[in-house]
Amino acid sequence: MGKKRRLSWAVMVDGRAIWTLNAVPKVSQYGESLRKFKGEEYRRWDPTRSKLGAALSRSRKSQYDLLPQEGDTCLYLGAGHGTSLSHLHDHVCGMDNQKDGRIIAIDLSPRCLRDLVHLSTIRPGLVPVLGDARKHAAWGIMVASKVDWLLQDVSQAGQTEIFINAVNRFLKPGGKGLLSLKAASERFSDAGEKEVFNQVRVQLEDAGLTVEEQIDLHGLEDNHCLYYITN
Amino acid sequence: MWLWYDWRAAAVADSNGNIVDVEEWNGWKDTDAVCSRMDMIAHMAMTPEAERLSERFPDAKVLIHGDDELPDANWPIPSSEALAALDRAAILLSKRGVDAAAGDPDRRLEHILRASDELRAAYITIEGRLVEWVGLFLPEARFERDRSALAHKVINCSNLSELADEIGIGMPPKGPTDAEWDSLHDWAQSVLEIKNRLERMEDVVRELASQHLQSLSALLGPILAARLCVEAHGRARLARLPAGTMQILGAEKAFFNHLKTGSPSPKHGHIFMHPWISRSPRWMRGKIARTVAAKATIAARCDEFGGEKWDQATIDAVADRVETIRSENSTPPSR
Repeated sequence: MGKKRRLSWAVMVDGRAIWTLNAVPKVSQYGESLRKFKGEEYRRWDPTRSKLGAALSRSRKSQYDLLPQEGDTCLYLGAGHGTSLSHLHDHVCGMDNQKDGRIIAIDLSPRCLRDLVHLSTIRPGLVPVLGDARKHAAWGIMVASKVDWLLQDVSQAGQTEIFINAVNRFLKPGGKGLLSLKAASERFSDAGEKEVFNQVRVQLEDAGLTVEEQIDLHGLEDNHCLYYITN
Repeated sequence: MWLWYDWRAAAVADSNGNIVDVEEWNGWKDTDAVCSRMDMIAHMAMTPEAERLSERFPDAKVLIHGDDELPDANWPIPSSEALAALDRAAILLSKRGVDAAAGDPDRRLEHILRASDELRAAYITIEGRLVEWVGLFLPEARFERDRSALAHKVINCSNLSELADEIGIGMPPKGPTDAEWDSLHDWAQSVLEIKNRLERMEDVVRELASQHLQSLSALLGPILAARLCVEAHGRARLARLPAGTMQILGAEKAFFNHLKTGSPSPKHGHIFMHPWISRSPRWMRGKIARTVAAKATIAARCDEFGGEKWDQATIDAVADRVETIRSENSTPPSR
């Protein structure tokens, strides 16, 4: 047992582990452990299963800033099976969406959407959308106004361009953007992944974004790096 | 002049950003109606409100909500109830998309083909064990000729001596206990059961593939056609493959090994299963595989892009071509 710190009303750091207040009590979403702290149930955020969780536990200077505010409108590109998403929902929406947040989760694969649709029925505030992160025209209308927080985790070639386009179109001025970059999805570079990570940083800065922190997820999620930017 | 619209309203603003006219739609309580509007906008079509405003202001430039070109103006903001309706529609649309995936023949073919592969792998191991098991008790028995009938014979006998009579050999001094024989008997039953199940499953693969890949199935046989389609992750991708890729589809390991280490390149992948290639002598297989793969890509494209189904004459022409290659290369190359 380490020292407990709170990152937000629902997110707690206990030593090296991160816990979020379970919005659906007694339900473990992906096999994570559940535990009570002072009568309230928390879910353990597994950093090897979630890149956002990995970034939170690896971040040196912006641990308190990475997450959105509760009740924010968030856009999540490449939501996958909803592992990170469920913890994000604990924080942004909470039980029965008491914080009145809205998370729009985009994914391309019908298999993933099957899980996300199920998740959205037990976690109000989640809006799953079946669509391609690159094709804004098909689903852009679901994003009624610009969002406060944007996370992209798509693992395909041209991730950075997709991210910059999405930030320009959907992120509010003063919003926060997180790009989880998989080095192996970019073109192979002789200089290795360090070089890929630095090139992406330059690319983000050239697009007029401020890179607040570059978090290497090595050890939790190999060949991945997470960029925290503001516009 | 700018004409802005989203799924529930349309508005016109002048060049100073002042709103001149607004049309709103109040039908958003019906989630189905919202869904059809989402479809409309996804296809860049205009909503009825936008059309009406566009008739009134023909020189306004029409842009959908969120477009970069739109100037800042007080575009009508949806109420929170309307937003909730939008969320409901988004969830419904996602559900429909997920449901539509069940109608996708590529995904269906993948599951049934992989399932039948797994079942076949299981069948081979448990059938092999049956032969070895019986062979332990009846060492004189020889099954090389007719292994498949063994399961039937075991099922029809109630003990080992009956089986020995059935096969026509003498009874050895040591036999299994009654309980052991029962287990052996059950094992034979499951061999037969799995065999029947496997045959039914492969019939389904044949049926699905002959509908989904008509020409390719006619050319290569439905099972091979299905395997190529699954390996390429769907018909749409299969139809876009060059012939060289089609030729070595399924031989990726050998192919990348070839690129990395310079070992000889693979001449055929799954396509080897076709008797034109597997029944030909080794030295001409590569040439035949190249021809057949080239024809197979054409057939796959006919299937995907709605071409005519290949008739027997077209397939016979390919068979003739294969025959020509065989006769032209009838002597093995000298080393």
